Parts: sequence; C-alpha cells; structure tokens
Amino acid sequence: MAESQIGDAATAAASPVDRRQVVGGAAILGVLVGLPLYAWQQVRVGAEGGASDSEKLLLARLSDLVIPTTDTPGAVAVGVPAFVELALLHGLDETAPPVSGPVRMAGYRGGFPVLEQVARDLNREGAGDFLSLRHDRQHAVLAAYDADAFGGERQDHPWKKLKALILTGYYTSEVGASRELQYELVPGRWEPDLPLPPNNRSWSSDWTAVDFG
Amino acid sequence: MSMDFDAIVVGSGITGGWAAKELTEKGLKVLMIERGRMIEHGTDYVTETKAPWEMEFRGEGDAELYAREYPVQRLNRHFTEFTQNHFVNDKDNPYAVAEGTQFNWWRSYQMGGRSLTWGRQSYRWSDYDFGANKADGYGTDWPIRYADVAPWYDHVEDFIGVSGAAEGLPSLPDGKFLPPMALNVVEQHVRQAIAQKWPDRCLTVGRTANLTAPKEGRAPCQYRSICARGCSYGAYFSTQSSTLPAAKKTGRLTVITDSLVEAVDYDPVRKKASGVRVLNVKTGARTRYGARLVFLNASAFNSVHILLRSRSDAFPNGLANSSGVLGTHIMDHASTLSTMAIMPGFDDRTSFGNRPTGVVIPRFRNLDRKDGDFTRGYSYQGGALQSGWTAAKRSAGIGKDFKAATRKVGPWRMVFVGFAESLPRATNRLTLDPVKLDPQGLPMLNIHFAHGDNERRALTDAKKEAAAMMEAAGGHVIMGFDEPGIGGSAIHEMGGARMGHDPQSSVLNRWSQAHDVPNLFVTDGAQMSSSACQNPSLTYMALTARACDHAVTLMKEGTL
Repeated sequence: MAESQIGDAATAAASPVDRRQVVGGAAILGVLVGLPLYAWQQVRVGAEGGASDSEKLLLARLSDLVIPTTDTPGAVAVGVPAFVELALLHGLDETAPPVSGPVRMAGYRGGFPVLEQVARDLNREGAGDFLSLRHDRQHAVLAAYDADAFGGERQDHPWKKLKALILTGYYTSEVGASRELQYELVPGRWEPDLPLPPNNRSWSSDWTAVDFG
Repeated sequence: MSMDFDAIVVGSGITGGWAAKELTEKGLKVLMIERGRMIEHGTDYVTETKAPWEMEFRGEGDAELYAREYPVQRLNRHFTEFTQNHFVNDKDNPYAVAEGTQFNWWRSYQMGGRSLTWGRQSYRWSDYDFGANKADGYGTDWPIRYADVAPWYDHVEDFIGVSGAAEGLPSLPDGKFLPPMALNVVEQHVRQAIAQKWPDRCLTVGRTANLTAPKEGRAPCQYRSICARGCSYGAYFSTQSSTLPAAKKTGRLTVITDSLVEAVDYDPVRKKASGVRVLNVKTGARTRYGARLVFLNASAFNSVHILLRSRSDAFPNGLANSSGVLGTHIMDHASTLSTMAIMPGFDDRTSFGNRPTGVVIPRFRNLDRKDGDFTRGYSYQGGALQSGWTAAKRSAGIGKDFKAATRKVGPWRMVFVGFAESLPRATNRLTLDPVKLDPQGLPMLNIHFAHGDNERRALTDAKKEAAAMMEAAGGHVIMGFDEPGIGGSAIHEMGGARMGHDPQSSVLNRWSQAHDVPNLFVTDGAQMSSSACQNPSLTYMALTARACDHAVTLMKEGTL
C-alpha cells in the first residue's frame, strides 16, 4: 500500500545515519513514496541550489496533503513538487528576496528559505520530524498550522507562499486545469446569464477570474 | 539629400499604422520606421494558443528574470509569461526619473507597438473635454472642438470596428458602434440600481475595439480574452490586423524594423524637416532617409524624446521648440481601485465565455454644474466576475474538502477602478538627462511627473461614490482606495508637444502640425493638451487621420 510505504520511508529518513542511503536519489525516492517516475523526472535535481532529498520528500507530502487524489489525481501525481521546486528556485509569488545585482550570488537559494521555515515550523508543531509522523497526524498538524497562518495578520507567512505555489502547480497542470476544473481556450461565444449547475466546476481559462482571484 | 519618400512615419503602433494607411491610400509613397522587431500577424503570435501547462513557469513567468530585466514592465497586470515578448526589456531600454519621483513607463517596441497589447477601450471625447482648459484655465485652450473631430471619429470607428451601446450621454458621445457585448447578470442589476437612484449616472458595457461581427477579412471575437498574446483571428484592432494590411495593399508602403530614429533633420534654408537619421539597432549602421513630410508616431514620450534630441543651430533646444514648451505638461490618468464589493443574490447564475471588455461609468461630476470639490472629473471602469481557483490562495484549508470547495465557481464580486483627469502642469515634463546616456549613446529621457491635489480630491470622491453605488445595488464593500497609483500606471501617458492656438505657448497647431516646421506632424499622444478621464487612443487615431488629410491637402495645394 502506498500509504505505508510513504510512512516507512519517512521514518527511515528521520534517522540521520540512514538518511543518505535510504533517500539517495530521485529514482529511489520515487519508488519509496509510490510516485509515478515521470513526476520526479521533471525535477531539476540539486542543481543550482535546488531541493535536497528531504526537501523533495517534504514537498511531496505537503503537496498531497493540500491537494490529495480524489476522483481526480492529486498534486504529486501531476508533478506539483517539481513545479514548486522550480518556482522556489526562481522566486515566484514573491518567495525570494529582491535580487540586488545582475549576478546570482554563490549559495543563493531563491525562495527555498520559505520551505526551510515551513519545515522548521512543522517540526516544532508536530514535536518531532514532521515526515516521520503518521499520516493522520501530519494532516492534523498541517491543518492547524494552515488555520493559524490564514487566521493571523501576517501577509507574508511562509506557508501562505508555499501553499500558493502548490495551488498554482496543481491548477495550471493539465489535469488540474482541464479535469479538476474546466479549460476552454476558444469559447467562441459570450453567454452573459446562465443557470449555475449544482455540481459546477470553475473555469481555469477564465483569465480575469484567475487574475483577480 | 534625395527625396526618397513622400512621407516618413516614425512608429508602427496605433497612430503610426493609421498614418501609414491614410497617407498611402491618398497616394503617397511612405516609409514606416519601427525601432523594434518585426512581428508578423498570426505566425509570430507564438504563445497565442498555449495552455499554462505548456509554459515553463505556467504563465506566471520567471520572477527572477523579471526582477533583473523587467522590473517596471512586470508591474503591468497584462505582463505575463504569455505576453512578455510583447513588452520591452527594461534593462536594455532604461529611462531616468527626476529625484524623488517615480514613473512606470510601460512600452512595447515592436511592429505594431502597443496596438498589440492595448486595452482596446475606445471612447470619444466631448466638448466638456476639449473645452476644459479654456473653462478652468489649466493648460492651454484646445484649438479644436468636438465638431472638428466628430467626422474623423466616424471614419476611424468605421474602419477599426468598435462594439458598444449607444446611451445618448453628453459626456461620452455615441459612435458608430458594432453590436454591444452584453452585461452579465450582476452588471445588469447594478446598472438598473444606479439608474434608479442617480438618473444622471450610467453603467454601460465598455466600448471596445473587438469585433462583434466580421469585418474586411477579420473574424469576430472568440471570447478568449487573451488579446495581448496577439489574435490570429484579427478580432481586435491592431496595426497587424487592420491598418498595416490596408497600407500594404496600396503597394506604396515600405517598412523597416530594428531602426531607431535618432533625430529629425531640419533644413534651415527651406525651414522644413528634410528627413530622419536612423540607427539600425542590430547592425549599428546609420542611414538617412529623406521625405517631404514627417509624421512622428513613436508614442507620446518617445516622439518628444526624438524632438528634444533633434537639436540644430536653428533649434538648439529641440526641433519645433521655439516656444520652449516642448516636453512640458505631460499627463497620465490618476487611477486606483476605488471599490471592490461582494455581490450577493446571484449565486445560482453564471456566464460562459470571456468577454474582452468590462463596464464603464462615464464622468458625471462637474458637467453642467460644479458638484465636486475639484475641477473636471473621473470615470470608472470595472466589472463583475465570479472568483476562480486563485481565490484558494487566500483561503484556509487543506485536503479533499478544500479541493472540493476550490473546484466550484466562487461568489460574485464587482470592482470599479477610478480614472481621474490629470491636469496639465508645466512642472510635469520630459527633458534630456544631462548626464545619463542610453545604450545607443543618446541622452536618456528624464521623466518628472507627480499627481496633484486635484487628482487626489477626485479619487477621494470616486471612492466614496463607488461605495455608495455598490451599496445601493446590495453589494458589501470589502475594500477601496483613493491614493493614485504611480504615474504611468494608467498607461495613458500623453502630452509634451501640446496643441494650441499660439506658437509662443504650444508646439502644434490645430492640425497636429508643428507651428515651427510646417511639414512636421506629431499625431500620437504627445499632441494632447488635456487628458480628459476616458481612454485616449481613439482620439489619437481620429486626430491622425485628420492630420493626414490636412497634410495631403496642403501638398496638393503646393504649400508643403
């Protein structure tokens, strides 16, 4: 079962001694967490300050906790962690401090400090390594952390930023945009007033709505 | 110098395309000069049909690249990964601002200029606008009135295609419209609620240069609302979809791209412009082109920049600047989000398709009586929409319930964005920077611009009235602002070579013709003597067509 595999991997990763051996490479990681390999093949592994293996694992867990598989695939299945990693590296959604010069400084990690802060916060909230917690406990810890982040005044809360990237990654993926939501590049007509069906799905191709939220 | 061409048109955007079309159709051999790259209609709209998942950064774009190379352009809502190739690179195209001031100068250096990226809102000005400077004393009196421009508005609307509803409003004259796009259910309700309480206020659908019927080889709007990517249907007015094919059809148009006009040459003996000096920005080669007629259509600030650079013994402070007012009295509109409201009661209704225009509430203040504590007026643009998935970024929740909630269309919201008239002020001006040079080695343009108290008072009133109208329609106001955005944010920068009666205090006469140089015309935003509070592009087009007609008449009479 995928669930127990993830739990086992997370437990193993928690031990500093075994960590490198267990989560050595993206391929192994993919097998361990039961991911389609293609999802990980999109990841720019470690280059230019990308995610570490444990960060990849955390991104995968957080992505699926926010958008799990239901009647449509969830975030990990559509490659959201790879997008979030790219997005952090390039500072999307104001995750990175403004660049001060034309050249990227050595050790520059773009928006990854946001993920690092979220990891520290979750380990503190969970009183231990978040990834080693049972799934239901991970869900509870993240739900409380999320409620705290959105209930507070802080606009630049690191979790708000990271969650925004997860959502962007999902709802701009082909599955998220066109199966979970509806996508029509060429509507061809304008109908100003229609009844809204009870089981409605919003339009990912309603660019104005996407712009203004 | 050889007279290779009858006319040179500098710039290929909204007005450059019009000048090329009108002059070639009247029999002139025209050279159109564009500083940016060629973009072919259709085939070069490379992102037009892309889905977000086909873009490396899912349409949001590379924030790191943008911070380094597009720090100003990125602030424009229409600048995305899909459209970034239709905007300038700020790093390669720097400008200076006066100390303590800011200006967002949003530009498109390419074949078609900003006609590819414009908002397409097309409004006539009224005599409240053309008469404003004379009435309150700000700026110099416009030497024209509505009656002078009206036939040219007809001419332009007939050709470009403007969809809109005739409302019979004195402050926003009706045009020759294609059928209007309909209001959605919430907008229709708000229109009625406003009309009931304020009979002098009208919410109507935005008058937009998007076709609602086929027109001369152009297909009607497909309701995608991704216009700024380029539209291979040709459904909105751009140089590529409209004026360029018309000009080409005459066989009298020559186009060069990647060619920056450094200066307009002046012949002090004949007292006329003799041609232009051009730098090929790719090869570095310099060429001179001669013509009997020069039209500047490089965009308001760039046309002024060219004139300021065109210094000679006869015009040491810039060509056509004997008055000394060249570069002064620049304007924008002072704009801000006046109000946003949740609109309850329509949660069982929706719409289909993406209408490429919003709504407008034309100016109602200070028309036939003074009813505001400021001079002139403001208008609103906005619309009602239902939230989509991005609302989830602001919402608590995780897991399957959160996913299920995000799937659904969100509540109706409505926004009014206020646009206040920008008064013409001598202190808001363009100069050549005394020190800084641009990458071509030419003196950099220095922009000094600030909104004034009148604009702030207008936006304060706009916020209050916008909230009142939303509430009268049953809306719950959730936010509103009255502080104007940074200058340039309305992308209606204009003025700098104003029209006027007096050669001592204006650059251009009533025909957009330089007082000092009879064969030099400036027919883009630079010619504007006031800003009104509605979008100016349609007026630029009408004045361009009018100026072309006048220039060719003078040529035929032998006086040019």
